[in-house]
Formats: sequence, structure tokens, C-alpha cells
Amino acid sequence: MDKTAAHKTKRHQVTLPRLLAQNAANYGDAKTAIREKAYGIWQKYTWNDYFSYVCKTAAGFAALNMKRGDNLCLIVNNSPEWLFTELAAHALGATSLNLFTSSIADELAFSIGRIHSPIVVVQDQEQVDKLIEVKDKLTQVQKVIYIDPTGMTSYEDDPWLTSYASLLEIGEKYMAEHPEYVEGEISKGRPQDIAVMIQTSGTTGVPKMAMLSHRNLTTMAAQWVEAANIQPEENWISMSPPAWIVDQMWGMGVALGSAMTMNFPETPETVLEDFRDIGPSILITASRFWEDMASRIRVKISDATWVKRKLFYMGEKVGRSVVEKKLHKESIPWPTKVLYRFLKAAVYNPLLDRLGCARFHSAFTGGHPISPDVIGFFRAIGLNLKQCYGLTESGGIFQIQPDGEVKLETVGRPLPLTEVKLADDQEVLVKSDANFCGYYNDYQSTEAAFENGWLKTGDAGYIDDDGHLLIIGRKEDIIRNKSGDAFSPDFIETRLKFSPYIKEAVTFGEARPYITAMINIDLGNVGNWAEERMIPYTTYMDLSQQKAVEDLILEEVWEVNRQLPDVMKIKKFVLLYKLLDADDDELTRTGKVRRRFVYGLYIKIIEAMYGGLTSVPVTGKIRYRDGRIGEIETTINIISVD
Amino acid sequence: MKAFRSRPSIMINRPEEDKEAELDIRNLRLSFGGVVAVRDVDLAVHTGELTAVIGPNGAGKTSLLNCITGFYHPQQGQIIFNGKDITNLHTHQLVGVGIGRTFQNIELFPGMTVLANMTLARHIHCHYSFWKSCLFLPEVREEEIRHRQILEEIIDFLEMQSIRKQTVGSLPYGMMKRVELGRALALEPRLLILDEPFAGMNLEEKEDMVRFLLELNGRWGLTMILVEHDMSIVMSIARRIMVLNFGEKLGEGNPDEISANPEVIKAYLGDAQALE
Repeated sequence: MDKTAAHKTKRHQVTLPRLLAQNAANYGDAKTAIREKAYGIWQKYTWNDYFSYVCKTAAGFAALNMKRGDNLCLIVNNSPEWLFTELAAHALGATSLNLFTSSIADELAFSIGRIHSPIVVVQDQEQVDKLIEVKDKLTQVQKVIYIDPTGMTSYEDDPWLTSYASLLEIGEKYMAEHPEYVEGEISKGRPQDIAVMIQTSGTTGVPKMAMLSHRNLTTMAAQWVEAANIQPEENWISMSPPAWIVDQMWGMGVALGSAMTMNFPETPETVLEDFRDIGPSILITASRFWEDMASRIRVKISDATWVKRKLFYMGEKVGRSVVEKKLHKESIPWPTKVLYRFLKAAVYNPLLDRLGCARFHSAFTGGHPISPDVIGFFRAIGLNLKQCYGLTESGGIFQIQPDGEVKLETVGRPLPLTEVKLADDQEVLVKSDANFCGYYNDYQSTEAAFENGWLKTGDAGYIDDDGHLLIIGRKEDIIRNKSGDAFSPDFIETRLKFSPYIKEAVTFGEARPYITAMINIDLGNVGNWAEERMIPYTTYMDLSQQKAVEDLILEEVWEVNRQLPDVMKIKKFVLLYKLLDADDDELTRTGKVRRRFVYGLYIKIIEAMYGGLTSVPVTGKIRYRDGRIGEIETTINIISVD
Repeated sequence: MKAFRSRPSIMINRPEEDKEAELDIRNLRLSFGGVVAVRDVDLAVHTGELTAVIGPNGAGKTSLLNCITGFYHPQQGQIIFNGKDITNLHTHQLVGVGIGRTFQNIELFPGMTVLANMTLARHIHCHYSFWKSCLFLPEVREEEIRHRQILEEIIDFLEMQSIRKQTVGSLPYGMMKRVELGRALALEPRLLILDEPFAGMNLEEKEDMVRFLLELNGRWGLTMILVEHDMSIVMSIARRIMVLNFGEKLGEGNPDEISANPEVIKAYLGDAQALE
């Protein structure tokens, strides 16, 4: 508890540049602040180096007339220069906004123009070219600072452009003339000043810019240091773009608050190799990263020798059963314990080391729900992969699964000093000092984002018996059943589709007593499964109506139901006789189900599922590739899950 | 930091006298039996110039390069490099004189890594003895580190970080060409000869290669001879162009002069009147 108190006092007086200055004073040249791979080896920067670069950069900005209250746009990749320029802006009391390097010129011009950024820091020639293309729209931009001088020879005479290397020279000169200036500016900073703006993707209209103050970021940092017990010089590898909240909250928050080391890969193409070099101790990434990694492992293993393959599969099986037992706090028989120990030494540890995952104390996956198979796999081989939840407006990730309580469906408990509750309509509300200060120049949206000091996340969820939060989806996608309980079709469908045998699923239940589903089997996987068991079939329709296939899918639905809260459990389902198809207008061209249309089209089947029938005769239309429309007559079985 | 990279120290810190590359080819003739591949060609290349040699297929461009780099020995004429007659020197001696090259058909060791291929080029700059290297004495170690540093700077300049440990045989064609350039640069040549460096590349790879060549020549004053078929590239980067046809010199001059030269147009596009 003492630790929290210490952070509490600290974070109320501190700005990000002052945190940096404190770290430089405490750790000086003794600890590594930043590591960057260059020329094939990891080059290190100590806290003194870090602070001195930030001061020089800030002096350079001051020489270019940057003042308190200005905004600075950055269009950069993950590199030490990103940290130096962004913190330098904060040191002078300016606010930073990172944009994506992949944005097109007009988007950049719009955002830069909106915040009247007098100086823009860009990564390389590619970004310079984009800005030159829209230069006539950027009248307020006085200087463009480019970091990477590659290919910039022909631009050297352009007075609009300055390299970062010469900015440092300008800064040194300015510091010699005004030795006290930068530190004076740092001490003028107040914790409530806006440090960082983050552009959130607006689904409609212009994107909004969430403003985070120094206090928001230092609070978030203090909470993480406490919750994940982060020690100085632990390794973070900076991979996600600086324009996203995750690396902002880490680079500008947690890394400064905990004095951990920020590691920067050599190039975007070498990330995986560099990842292995570093062996980070903590990581937050999208579920995609882990899913890719899992599939890479499986491909490699299938090419491995017979002994390795056998060991791997045995390892996975034993690992899964041990993890399962531990989760339910069951005792593990001693032969399994011994076997698990052996496999740990022979399989898990070498494998994790190979991936660069040997030193994790926690790894997090956020964003889209992760496939239970993937998270189960990583946990089985001894990687502490957990789920988390957060948003830009809450200052980052505020909800994480505690060690030993990793349930597949939840996103765990709130961080310390963070309160989470549910509104009457099941919207998740959060209260903490890390909650953002509002949207830039958008009073209306800011007002709408809060309710009595609680931040409205826009996501619906609920809290289970263990106090774990379960997110069911965006609030606007939520549907209510007859008794008024909220459920998210997307939440259920995503989990159904994690099964390799289910290709598509549509769930119904609006104003109905229970939830039903219409499922498309995956012809390839179910076909293979049937062939292995010598089950003969002709077409998709034939296969989908086989008793054995019904049993197979029933088991999958059963498994999904086990993870779902009671109100969301599927009671009945049918296996549709045809695949939903964009040609029949059932899917959009991007593959999303057109729910209302499908509901109307298959109303007879849906009514039958609620009518207590066991089978229903249907006549369906099928559009052939040449445009002809054929008719199908069949009877489909309604399967109850009880 | 990226802000201070992409500048190989062997390029920036090179003394002016090490850049000197005056090549003078006088009255060169090379024949294979009755076929005359190069007929009485004169060519002068001065320090800091980027000279392109162009011509239709079979014009004798590669033969000329092979004479300069010692693969062929001409029957007649002289090749003078920095005041020294190099006409009859062998390839390995020419490397010592300061002539590096890349090949039209890639000549790397496909089973070795990119780094190993490039390290080989540093052999001529190694000063330690065999026995010292067997003991791996501190001076050997220091020198090896210096060589690696030089190679890493070239890798960084040519943006090959992600492939440094891959075997060359597994790389795409455009990348192999880049590795060849890297190996040639590792020799620290005074004169760099490039035989069709753009062949078989896609547009993006070509753009990168143009950037590297411009940087090497324009910024660091590396003298180059370039044989190339892609006219748009030659016209935009070469300062002087020599045109060969059937082994004979057809014309010489700057890009504007060459593109206006009727003889050259005739050799490339054919004789319009002859068709009529």
C-alpha cells in the first residue's frame, strides 16, 4: 500500500519531462533508458543521454520559436528520436499529436491544419514528399524537421526543411546562449497541462482528438507499475505505431514512471528477430500478433523431426490439462507434475526462448477477442498470456487479468486506483485520474463522454461473480431479449466462429425468450472430418444435414455455451442448407452478415426454432453463378442444446 | 539514431587523394578469332564522373568492361589507370589498384550469407598475418571489429538490415544485385564498374538503386562506369555517355548531345529511310 501512496504523491506534482529529469538524477549513466538496434548491435542510451537529447531538442525547438501552448505534429516511426522530440515539446509546455506514417497527404494536412502545428517532425523522405505535395494547405507550418536523412540530398537547399541532426546543433547553440532556459521551462510545467493528443478513429465524420494531460499519463504509469510490479531496466519493445495509445501510454508514461528500458527495432522488417534478441519482459499487442505466432509455430513444428513433433504434441496436451486444473484450483497428480517439469525443460522453455518469449512475466492481448485455442496454447506452453481492456479516452489499458485468474471470456479486474461500474443499460463506466481531459475543440463530444465524472466507454458488459469484467460489445450493437437482458450477437458469433468447423453464424433473440443460432459449417474442415470417419456425403446441403455433423457442431456449441453467461447461452440452432453468400445479398462484400435481411429471409426457420418444432420443411432459392435461380426443397432439423 | 546513419564512414572520411580515379583507354582492340568485339575504342573517365556506356545487344559493352577489369586481355591498345598501365594486370591485382565491379549475371556465393559474401571483399584490406589470426590476438580482434563496422555501415546505407544473415541464394533477384553493390563498395574502390545494375528489377527496386548511385556519385564523389539498357535511367543520372555499336565508338557526350546524335538514333531505332 505504501508503494501506491508514494506514487500518489509523486504523480500529483509531476510532469513527464520532470519524471525524465528525476530518472536522470537517480539513475544517471548507471541504467539503460533506451536501446536501439543499429549497425547490427544494440546501442544504448542511459538516462543522462536521454535527458540531454531531450534538452538539446527542446532548445532547438525554442530557437525555432516553439512556445508554451503550441502544438507539435509528429509523423514518425518507433525510434529514439520519437521520444526525444515528443518529450522536448512537452518540456517547453507544448502538446504533441502523433499521426500515422501510413496516412495520405490530405489526411495529414487536415490534422496538421486543425491543431495549427507550427513545426512538424517527420520520419523520412516519404513523409517530406507528402507534406510538399500539400504545402499550399500548410501555411502555418514554418518548419519541417526530418529524422532520417536518407535520400534527402536533393532537398538540402529547401529552407522549409531541417534535419534532426542540425536541429540538435541549433539546440546546442541556443543552450550555450540561454543555459537556464529549458530547465526553467520544464519547472514551469503543471501536471494538468495537456501533454498528448491522440486521434481516435471516428466511425462517422471527422476523427476526434482525445487530450491526455501529464497527470493522466503519470497516473496510468503508476497504476501499471503497481499492478504488474515493473522494475527498472525491464524491457519493453516498441512495435505499435506511436500514433496509438499503447505505445504512447508506455513510452510517455510507464517507461518514465518505472525507469524501464524502451527497445527500438532496427527496421520494421527486422522486428521479429529483434524481438528475440531482447526477450521483452512485458508486452501488449493485438490478438492478431499471437494468432500469427501460433500459426508460425505450427507450420515449423510440422516440418520438424519425428521426435520433436511427438514431444511438442505431448507437451501441448499435458500443458493444457495442467493449466486447466490450475485454473479450477484442482490438485495435479504427481506423475503429471513430474512429466510437466520434464516437458518444461525439454519443450516449453526452448520453444519460448526460440520465440523471444522466455523472459515474459506477463504478456497481454487486447482489442479483438483472441481465439481460446491460441490463448490456451500459449498458456499451455508456459507463457503468461492474459487479456486486457482499455481505450484511448481512459488513458490506455485499465483492466487486466490478474495472475492465476485467467478466464477465457473476461478482461479481468481494474488496475489499482481505478473504479469500474456498470450503468443501468450495462454500459461500462470507469473512473480514474487517468481518464482523458476531453476532445480537442469539441465541447459537445466531451460532455457526452462523461456522466457524473464517470467516463462512458461505449461498450456494454457485465461483472461476473469473481469481479471480472466481461465485455460483450459496442453498446449500439447490443440487443435485448424478452426479459430485457442485454446480449451482443457479435460476441456470441465471434466465439462460435473460433471453431474450425463453423464458418459463419448468425444469432437471433431480440425480444425473444432465448437465443437461437443459424450456423454454416465449414465445408473444407467438416468435409475432411467426415472423410476421416468414412461418412459419405455429396453436397454441402447433404453434409450439413448428416446426423454425425449435427452432433459435431452440437459439441462445439456446447463448448461455447460453457464460456458464455447464462443469458447469452444458445438454446437451439440449425445448420443452414446453404452458405450465406454475398451474391444472395446475405453478406456484404466485405463478408459481414446483413442481419436484418437474413432475419427476413429465413423467418420461417427462425419462427420454427421458437415454436418448439423439431424439424421444418423449407423451400429455398439459390442463385447460380450464371444468374439462374434454382429452388431447393428440404427439411432441416432443429437441434436443442440442453 | 537514424538521424546520424546512412553515411558510411569509408565514404565520408575518405581523403581526396584516395578518390582519384583517372582512367584512360587508348585505341583498345579485342577480338575473338575473326570477331572483333571492341574496335579501336578510346575512352577517358575522370575523377568524380558517372560515365555510362550504352549500345544495342552485342555492341561490346561487357567486353570493354571485362578488359578494364582484367577478365580479357586486349590484343591492342592500353588501359591507363591513375598513370599506371593496367592493361595486362590480373583481376585480383586490379582490385588492389582500386577497381571494383558488379556483374550482369550475379556472381555471388549463393550458399553463403550476405554478410559473409561482403566480408570476403574486406580480405584485401586485412593486415594481420595468418599466424596472428590463428591466435585471434587482440589486434586481430580489433581489426575484425573495424571491418564489421564498415560492412554494417554499408548494410545500413543500402538498407539490407533484414537480410544480413540470410543466404544469398534465398534472396530475390533485385536484392542480390544490391548485395553485389554492397560487396563492391566493401572493396573501397576508386572506380566502381556496374554492369547492368538495373536489369530484372521492379520499379521500386530501381528507384532505390538510383538513389544509392546518386548518393555515392553525387554526394561522395565515387567515380563510376555504368553499363545499362534502361535509357530513362541512363539519361537522368549519367553525366557523360559513350555509345558503342558493333564494337565501335559511335558517339560520346553529355545526355543531351547523345539523344540528339543522329548516328545514335539510327543505331537504336534503325534507319528510317532503309525501310522505305
